[in-house]
Amino acid sequence: MKKAIKHTWVFDQSPEIVWEYLTNSDLLAMWLMKNDFQPLKGHKFMFLTKPMPDFGFDGNVHCEVLEIEPCTKLSYSWKGGPGDGTFNLNTVATWTLEAVGNGTELKLEHSGFEEHNAFTFDIMNKGWEVHIKDRVTKLINERAHEAGKK
Amino acid sequence: MKEHMKQEKSDPFMALADPSRRYILQLLTKDNLTINAIAENFDMSRPAVSKHVKILCTAGFIAIEDIGRERYCKLNQAGFKDMQTWIDHFDSFWESKLNNLALMLKAHPKSRKS
Repeated sequence: MKKAIKHTWVFDQSPEIVWEYLTNSDLLAMWLMKNDFQPLKGHKFMFLTKPMPDFGFDGNVHCEVLEIEPCTKLSYSWKGGPGDGTFNLNTVATWTLEAVGNGTELKLEHSGFEEHNAFTFDIMNKGWEVHIKDRVTKLINERAHEAGKK
Repeated sequence: MKEHMKQEKSDPFMALADPSRRYILQLLTKDNLTINAIAENFDMSRPAVSKHVKILCTAGFIAIEDIGRERYCKLNQAGFKDMQTWIDHFDSFWESKLNNLALMLKAHPKSRKS
């Protein structure tokens, strides 16, 4: 199971151009989501998207710029919740840009799922053993019962 | 045998945020247990344990089954699948958004100098 979400893309454009698409609010809105982003460390902003009530998510991503190094690195917190001020999704999105030839390698890491991930993975592994044990026990008991009838 | 608890869903992240609830799930990986048996592992009251069990139930992590006169808690695969769905959701979310970005950049001049 994945520890974090990672994507790497290579573009023909320079890091300066890619950077603009990551940090200009209007351009961001065109490819990502509606937002009130500003390229300032500590700036708090929101992305607006579709609510997912089954997951306790009201569609507002609450963010804060954590790190900003022009044309190199941008990271922001990425929190979501049901809309009552609590956050059940507490993650961080980090963009890094590197010049490759005349183009740019853009990396995204969306982290913060690890703890939940590792825990559920652990439970699933152990849990399914129990289920298998259950099934085997049931079968053995049924067999014993049938054998008893004969 | 009767399956209980088909109520409105509560969200899985919130359900897992609490250490007691994580511990309850860990206990259930070893065996299916009654609420009383779970409560023996905690300092808190039985109603308090019962409340945690209910939250885990509505989030889909555990199911309650009546066996004879006892009610047993057991792990339920559905809740764990939901967690994976949520992570997969973000994975494909970024995939599609970055595709948008690639399309927009394609229409953009290759560099400022040219």
